[in-house]
Amino acid sequence: MDMGSYIVKRILLAIPLLFVISLITFVLINLSPLDPAVVVLQAQEVPQITDELIAQTNEALGFDRPFIIQYVNWLIACMQLDFGSSYVSGEPVWSLIGPAFLNTLKLTLVSSVFIIGFSILLGVICAMREGKAVDKSVRGLSFILTAMPSYWLAAIMIWTFSVKLDLLPTSGMDSLKSYILPVIVITVSYTGIYFRTVRSSMLSNMNEDYVLYGRASGLSERKVTLHILRNSLQVAVSIFCMAIPIVLGSTVVIENVFAWPGLGRLSVRSILNRDFPMIQAYVLILAVTFVLFNTISDVINAAMNPRLRKDL
Amino acid sequence: MKKGSALGLMLLLLSVITALAGCGQDKGTTTESANNEVKSELIYASAKDINDMNPHLYTGSMPAQGMVYESLVENTVDGIKPLLAESWDIAEDGKTYRFHLRKGVKFHDGEPFNAEAVKQNIDAVQANAEKHAWIKLSTKIASTKVMDEYTFELVLSEPYYPALVELSMTRPYVFISPKDFTNGGTKDGVSGYHGTGPYKLTGHKIDENATFEANEEYWGGAPKIHKITSKVLPAGETTLLALQKGEINFIFTDDRGADSIDVEAMNQLADSGDFQVVRSEAMNTNMIVANSSKVDNPVHEKAVREAIWVAIDRETISNNIFNGTQTVADTLFSSNVNYAHVELKKREYNPETANELLEKAGWTLTNGKSVRIKNGQPLALTLYYDSNSSSQKTQAELIQHALKGLGIQLEIVGEESTSIANRRATGEYDLLFNQTWGLAYDPQSTISAFTSDSAYKHTTSGIAQADELYKKIDEVMVSTDEESRQSLYADIMKMVHDEAVFIPITNGRVTVVAPQNLDGITFKQTQYELPFEQMKFK
Repeated sequence: MDMGSYIVKRILLAIPLLFVISLITFVLINLSPLDPAVVVLQAQEVPQITDELIAQTNEALGFDRPFIIQYVNWLIACMQLDFGSSYVSGEPVWSLIGPAFLNTLKLTLVSSVFIIGFSILLGVICAMREGKAVDKSVRGLSFILTAMPSYWLAAIMIWTFSVKLDLLPTSGMDSLKSYILPVIVITVSYTGIYFRTVRSSMLSNMNEDYVLYGRASGLSERKVTLHILRNSLQVAVSIFCMAIPIVLGSTVVIENVFAWPGLGRLSVRSILNRDFPMIQAYVLILAVTFVLFNTISDVINAAMNPRLRKDL
Repeated sequence: MKKGSALGLMLLLLSVITALAGCGQDKGTTTESANNEVKSELIYASAKDINDMNPHLYTGSMPAQGMVYESLVENTVDGIKPLLAESWDIAEDGKTYRFHLRKGVKFHDGEPFNAEAVKQNIDAVQANAEKHAWIKLSTKIASTKVMDEYTFELVLSEPYYPALVELSMTRPYVFISPKDFTNGGTKDGVSGYHGTGPYKLTGHKIDENATFEANEEYWGGAPKIHKITSKVLPAGETTLLALQKGEINFIFTDDRGADSIDVEAMNQLADSGDFQVVRSEAMNTNMIVANSSKVDNPVHEKAVREAIWVAIDRETISNNIFNGTQTVADTLFSSNVNYAHVELKKREYNPETANELLEKAGWTLTNGKSVRIKNGQPLALTLYYDSNSSSQKTQAELIQHALKGLGIQLEIVGEESTSIANRRATGEYDLLFNQTWGLAYDPQSTISAFTSDSAYKHTTSGIAQADELYKKIDEVMVSTDEESRQSLYADIMKMVHDEAVFIPITNGRVTVVAPQNLDGITFKQTQYELPFEQMKFK
């Protein structure tokens, strides 16, 4: 199978998955025992909710229509990036979630570059020096750093670099400088996890026969290492690809400490406000991101290893 | 590689990232220049975005709306005073109000403020009357009439004594340029936020910040502080660090009564010499609200509620948690609230009394057990507090400890204020922290909220004389006779006091932390807005 048709097939496979996700998202939210009209009115902080008002709201927002019609209408609108209007502000969901998603995506992508870079670097170093002092100390230190709660690490960083040394802004997203502290904190929290994958993958490859044959046939140690790395990274690619949506979906703590106007904060606030259209859109976007990166990782792996294309 | 060089490597890499700071230099200067400007402008931290600033709906931030919009009259220490209306006449039947408007006032977009604009605004509010059911005036407006350019007439369906008080509130009876209306009204949203107030909204980045600039043509004279920025920052460490760094220079108690940093941090800032801490008079009552409607829950019992009341050491809370900045509250309304001069039985702090009350009610402690039991049901309750309020958390912990000593198991749960409001509305709580509406609104607003599902219906509906209570509340709102009003309010206050459904803790104040050289920090009669237009730098 050539690469082109593999990609097309892989994408087609994702569509029913997305459909199921959309249905689950919609059903779960609508299973909530709360009267959606009451939820809307509470979200709008109307001080006193009357029965008449509930009836008016139901009619205006179409909650009185049959479930399946509500779902179909919602799905059709979603495909056009119209996720409805926020219960709280009445503004289109996409106009609120879009910019927040972009802000979190920027933070995630920058962090991912560092996470991947450091993970490979440290993973390779540790694998090459397995059991030596370097390996032990890097693993030990990463263990400590990963175990530190990120909000705590963040507070220490802000105190040191922003307040004491006056080098960086404490929070917000005003300039490129604002990226530095959150990126460091995210990188520290995840590198400790991912470099281990690279390390162990390198180690298992080191014991493969091709390494022995390579050495036996007189390949330079550098070339041997490159071969090991290339094979080890195949495993790492899928893990790294999934790291991006994972980081994307879990920046809420970091966003809170650094007052980052991103998806995490928006989603938590929407959940607390029971702003259902926002929650639906958030879940859907995150699910799509997971499916997307999963597809990307499969495609990259297939490109690196033609054997994988046959299985589809 | 040698031993320990891995650590060196990590540090090196971290410092490389830090050095990247240089790459952001071009844009980075904006932050630095902002720090210099701080001297002439105010940047305050707010846990929430200003949200939709439509003054005829309820999601907007009240302090922000207070800067931009104005009402016809103002509620002050000395009663109702003119604001956009210079004077008014009330007809003898008590139903017709004729307002003489201030001349030459303009909305921020240049539109004239006149009787026509007043009529359009009030009509726009009335077109959405159901949403304003909490404000009883909205159910009593019969007609609105333009008499001439600067005279406006409001006719009520029946006499309603708090009419002027309700017209003075931050929302909904405030005025936005009719040019901002969509579909001829405001209930479907507005296209701009042009009020008549001392500040104009000039910029808004959702979840980041909002900027307000002085209205140079303000009828009361241009405000001295030219620019005010509301910056969205989570309460606690982040806000404190931003204050210390100088990225923000102003904080105040938010509209839910929560301070973004604790008293200790405030004192630390004051000690640094860069900040001053200013507190208002008592504005409202911070309290614990008990859900009397939960029939199968211990909190349904009056004895349990009373026991909790006397088990709480308010003196310690006032002195140790608030450093004396909030005074002990013995009743739902402090005596400076209208109609609140009522003799009520004082419930002093006394754990012994609490013990007796519980024993008498049949909640007994068997040997070796730490929780009291009655008919197999343990005396276990949950108290919800606002996770953005550090003082509420500390109070909750203290109360939890006090109740444990009495054999009451108290679980404490911190949640966002919106979530607390949801619980209050749905009745999914045993106990929760809340506050009364405040001087300008009380007693009528808090008391009329007793009957509202979204407010205190769950709190009040489980008491024995609930029907009688609601009847009296209905009566007092329409009574025209001062004396009967006085006696009705007294009865109402006595009923809820006896039933111990509102457990008062302290009288809340608005606290402002501001730069040392800021003058003219005063307060309004409500805890929701601040008169920024009166502040100036020395």
